Amino acid sequence: MSVLKPWVRLAVIIAAISAACLWLLSQPSGRVTSEAVSAIQANIANGQQVFTVAGCGSCHVAPAAQPNGDVTQHNLAERPLLSGGQHFITAFGTFVAPNISPDKVAGIGRWSDADFATALLKGLSPDNQHYYPVFPYTAYTRMTLQDVIDLKAFLDTLPASSHTNTTHELHFPWNIRRGIGLWKRRYLTNNPALRLVNPTVQQQRGQYLVEALGHCGECHSPRNRAGATETDQWLAGSADINGQGGKQALSAPNITSHQAGLATWSAEDIADYLSTGFTPDYDVAGGLMSEVINNTRQLSKQDRLAMGEYLKVIPHRNGDGATD
Amino acid sequence: MTLLKRCFSAIAIIVIVFSSNTIASDAEKAITARQAHMQTYAFNLGVLGNMAKGKTPYHADKAKTAAQNLLTLSSMNNASMWPQGSSQSDEGLGDKTRALAEIWTNFPKVMERHQVLTTELQHFVTIAGKDLASLKGGLGKVGAGCKGCHQDFRAAK
Repeated sequence: MSVLKPWVRLAVIIAAISAACLWLLSQPSGRVTSEAVSAIQANIANGQQVFTVAGCGSCHVAPAAQPNGDVTQHNLAERPLLSGGQHFITAFGTFVAPNISPDKVAGIGRWSDADFATALLKGLSPDNQHYYPVFPYTAYTRMTLQDVIDLKAFLDTLPASSHTNTTHELHFPWNIRRGIGLWKRRYLTNNPALRLVNPTVQQQRGQYLVEALGHCGECHSPRNRAGATETDQWLAGSADINGQGGKQALSAPNITSHQAGLATWSAEDIADYLSTGFTPDYDVAGGLMSEVINNTRQLSKQDRLAMGEYLKVIPHRNGDGATD
Repeated sequence: MTLLKRCFSAIAIIVIVFSSNTIASDAEKAITARQAHMQTYAFNLGVLGNMAKGKTPYHADKAKTAAQNLLTLSSMNNASMWPQGSSQSDEGLGDKTRALAEIWTNFPKVMERHQVLTTELQHFVTIAGKDLASLKGGLGKVGAGCKGCHQDFRAAK
């Protein structure tokens, strides 16, 4: 005879079944196979372009710390050292960017192409752990496999760094990495953020540059409480990119063509801004956007124009920057 | 006037005076002035930028004048437009200015960045009147000079 009352036994059984279900639902799946990548010929020159638009260096170079601790403009050299270490303070805790240099111990030098593709497209590490979506694989999941392989080939040409970094410091329950598996089930999709109506080739290119590589939505779209971007307010701005709240909040403006956004800008204006940092009335980009422009200024005029054309045809949204 | 009426008058005057929006504090006056200063930069940049974009025809004298104006603006001593207590973090100024408190806690860096802009403008003045290609090339660097402060010392919108 059990010492436990019947209802207690039932509760324990239900809890055990729930835990098993959560375990199953959160399991990593869908790794990119080596067969899938083996046929692809890498193009290093394209890989450098991809690196530039995707902005890998902006997060993965070391923080250039000043004596009072602030981070200055990252002058990305031709061959940047991706030793990691930058801290990103968010509502979920503090994330630390890892070393993604080709170092075989401290970096990703031992990764296969399939490992790298799985990381970007599926948000899974080589040992099948979920990545936190602070690494914007929620955007990169829309990349073509060719671009992913090209990017890997370019990263392999960069200098190795033996620097190791501290790990993330996250609040409960976000520190349970396995839980991201449930999050991904709900929020991770490689569908486009929105369907364009009869898009031109330029608009499609712009969509890819903005939604996949440029990952503009990671800052410029509001997020819900679970930290997922709200695609029904796509690119309508965010009052609090990192969810920090209060005076620490960093905001990103509405870049749809709503009155509250880029209504008065042409696609040309956007293309020029992404090169010079000048707005149509000659204000100058500041804050984090000036770092983005360090990258976008290296794109061809055609690509910047494509991004501009995409931004001019997406649905006008007013955001509601006050609450995310 | 009865004593009661005098009291009411006095109270009314006090309330009106202290609730008046037309009395600007010294900090607010400084903020207004420095924002106007920035708009003058923008205006002259517009002359140059429109030539660079092909919206207006290139005109060497106008380009050189606009470039010189930018240098003049940059060479002014406007320390008095940036008094202590006029940052975004200061009482009541949160939505009146985007100037971050870092400007006052890290003033050497501000001056350093400002010098970068001034130096760039000194060079730009010598090339803006040459031809359109020189103007375009130089304008990008000027923008980078502006960015030097806006990146770290101005709050996002």
